[in-house]
Amino acid sequence: MVASAWVCLFSPLVGALTITLAGTRISRKTAAWISTLTTFIAFGGALVAFIGLSAEGHGDREIVSTAYTWLESGDFQVELQILLDTLSSTMMLIVSGVGGLIVWYSMGYMEGDDEERRYFAYMSLFVFSMLLLVQAGNFLLLLVGWGLVGLASYLLIGFWHHKPEAVAAAKKAFVMNAIGDATMALAIVLMIWTASGQTGFLEVFALVEGGDSEISNSTPITLIALGLLGGAVAKSAQIPLHTWLPDAMEGPTPVSALIHAATMVTAGVYLLVRASPIFEAAPDVQRLAAILGAITLLVAGVIALVQWDIKRVIAYSTMSQIGYMFLAAGIGAYGFAIFHLLTHAFFKALLFMSAGVVIHHLADEQDIRRMGGLRSLMPRTHLAFLVGSLALVGIPIFSGFWSKDGVLASSLALGGEFGWTLYVAGLVGALLTGLYTFRLYFTVFHGEPSDLVKELAHNGHGEGPQSMLLPVGVLSVLATIGGLVVIPGVWEPFIHWIDETAESVPHPTVAQDYATSAIAVFLGLVGFLLARRAFVSGRQLVTRPGIWRVLEHKLYFDELYDALFFRPAGAVSVALRRNVEEPVVERSLDGIGAGTIQLGGEVARVQSGLLRTYAIAIAFAVAVLVVVFVAAR
Amino acid sequence: MDGPDVGWYLIVAAILFGIGALGVMMRRSPLIVLLSLELMLNAANLTLIAFARQQGDLGGQIFALAVMAVAAAEVAIGLGLIVAMARRHMLLDVDQASALRG
Amino acid sequence: MGTVIVWIVWFAAAGACLGTGVAVVSMTNPFYSALSLIGNLASLAVLFLLLSAEFLAAAQVLVYAGAVMVMFLFVVAYLGGRADAPWAGGPPLLRGAAIVAAVALLTEIVVVLGLAWGDNLTDPAEVSGSFGSPAAIGEAFLTDHLLAFEITSIVLLVAAVGGVILGTTGEKDEEVA
Repeated sequence: MVASAWVCLFSPLVGALTITLAGTRISRKTAAWISTLTTFIAFGGALVAFIGLSAEGHGDREIVSTAYTWLESGDFQVELQILLDTLSSTMMLIVSGVGGLIVWYSMGYMEGDDEERRYFAYMSLFVFSMLLLVQAGNFLLLLVGWGLVGLASYLLIGFWHHKPEAVAAAKKAFVMNAIGDATMALAIVLMIWTASGQTGFLEVFALVEGGDSEISNSTPITLIALGLLGGAVAKSAQIPLHTWLPDAMEGPTPVSALIHAATMVTAGVYLLVRASPIFEAAPDVQRLAAILGAITLLVAGVIALVQWDIKRVIAYSTMSQIGYMFLAAGIGAYGFAIFHLLTHAFFKALLFMSAGVVIHHLADEQDIRRMGGLRSLMPRTHLAFLVGSLALVGIPIFSGFWSKDGVLASSLALGGEFGWTLYVAGLVGALLTGLYTFRLYFTVFHGEPSDLVKELAHNGHGEGPQSMLLPVGVLSVLATIGGLVVIPGVWEPFIHWIDETAESVPHPTVAQDYATSAIAVFLGLVGFLLARRAFVSGRQLVTRPGIWRVLEHKLYFDELYDALFFRPAGAVSVALRRNVEEPVVERSLDGIGAGTIQLGGEVARVQSGLLRTYAIAIAFAVAVLVVVFVAAR
Repeated sequence: MDGPDVGWYLIVAAILFGIGALGVMMRRSPLIVLLSLELMLNAANLTLIAFARQQGDLGGQIFALAVMAVAAAEVAIGLGLIVAMARRHMLLDVDQASALRG
Repeated sequence: MGTVIVWIVWFAAAGACLGTGVAVVSMTNPFYSALSLIGNLASLAVLFLLLSAEFLAAAQVLVYAGAVMVMFLFVVAYLGGRADAPWAGGPPLLRGAAIVAAVALLTEIVVVLGLAWGDNLTDPAEVSGSFGSPAAIGEAFLTDHLLAFEITSIVLLVAAVGGVILGTTGEKDEEVA
């Protein structure tokens, strides 16, 4: 069982290395197959590990396996270790399963691209990095995985490197992630300092809960939690470190599906749940996480109402849904947070992939104003997109319904001012979700076909290759039934499963849960109706021009950051270049070179070639030596 | 021993050595330089023989004989060089022969 | 009486030695320089005799004055006018430095001698009449200093070969002996 976890971890790495080392000796198709198969092997390993783990008894589901000691310096030791417990096995399944489906889908989507091999190598690298992140047994290894997924994200966003927008987007993503990486690294350093050099999860949590180690004092634990939260916020594109996610849509659609919907952006949520003992010991930080989640889910939902790019709408939707997960993790509803992560992986990947089929079919057109009427032309894709939309809005019995309502009910169960505020925010978010999702659905699939659609729809052949349609089909099924692992009042195996690693704090009663569901579904339907009415009458949802402009500029965050950080940094670097680099550094280096040459020239003058000079020099030398010898006697 | 002490011979040798050194360092004709070099060698010989007499050890005289042989060899080669230079119509001036300048 | 004669001979020889030495160094005509050197060698031979080195005195006259200086005179004759050596001295700095170096050396030697005179230079060893005789030299060469003897002969051989090579460079049809 543990061996299968290791296989799961390293299989995609083997795939990536094989593709890299084989280079152009293998065909592009072969590279795609290698990547897909290794990811599915990883899924197999995860499945075996999961089954094995569930076969263990209740209290035994926490296994640490160490490969070897990676770093050792005096008393400080870091091992290459994986932690196999309920949380990590769930994440492994999600990453490798959904990842496998998306890589399979990429085979059709990326076919014909010149640099297909590079793409699949990067995809396998990403899957490996994400698996390392979720399987790591200590904070340092987690940080390694964290950084590697950031790298893979950069490489994949900027995959079409001849497009300047893509390159800029990749850089933006990387830099913003780096801010989070920095805070996380600082937090880990502080942790090492205060937790007597421990970095392993189990050891650190024991020290935190024990109460008599330095780490459990208020200041260090708060700082550590803040640092970890900073990393989570950056990686999960929550406010204020969110501006990179919409731009990241410059990458290929499968990349958006895998990295920026299903897995990488959810790493922040995973961290919040994994490090729950730390956050519970710093309750203010945990509340902050919930507040940030709530703010993000509202802001992102509102911005999504006016976007024209199909992928950007879905990206803002992702941001909003992760806000829900942060909200859940922030109030201690870890089970529902991970449950929503799971269902979100299904339906968001489904939405992206069906959008990808549309984009692929319409020759890379992404503006929804140029789409329309695709319902009859692409029936299967339409159905998949509809399923995804229903799941996203939270219509029963689709998966999103169970998870989102669980999150909301938990905040209701929390009670108090805080709980009620979050509850209301979540409900408003549900309304917004209905609005923007169905706006998108109607604009793309209903109405008169646009000119572009009419032009391209006469191709005759099907909606897309099998390799693209089959994974979409599988995800449609999962998005439909995937939520049935938690039916409040009937059975809740998933929540119990996650509770073994991170015990949920608020426990909603069945009544609270169903009441919440009723309100949420009602709001979702209101959104649906409003969107349909707006569409039918040809209006936009937001008409006031002032508000519309603000929303279209994404609340001017980009402009704000540009003025606050980018311009001053640019000015500082130019000034440094002019006043320090050139005069001091370059001149001094040049000076050393020129000085050496000059000195050499001076010294060379001793070699005059004149015999007599040499003879005189010898005579002087002898004179000096005589004195030395006589004095030495 | 009759006559001056060994030390007097040593003084003569020293002065002779100095004169020879001056000649080597100050003259420009290679021929004169070689002749001055001979002076220096002979001064050394005189020193050796004086000390041989002082110590009663024939080793000094043997050494002086070897020096004489070596000096003869060196003069032969030196003169050969000068003749070679003259054959190539080079100026017989030590300052001109500075092809080894760095 | 004997001592007085020895002193007079000594002074004469020493004076001649130094005088001809100065002449060697300062003459502009190399022929005269060479002749002065012959005189120097002769006076040195006398000094050797006074130091009980008979064989060496003879060798000095035969080898040095006889063979080496003849070589010199041959070359001077061959060079003819080209061998003229005017006193054009070179940069004054160089001349000054040369004089300083020579004087420094001289001073040092004199100082050392002065320091050592009292201890080491007052009692010459007692030597027999055969000290410095050819028999004694020969015996020393072939017993205690045999290695020096052999190596010296090799040196002379090498010099001979070198001289021939230097002499025949440029005439490609001549074989080296």
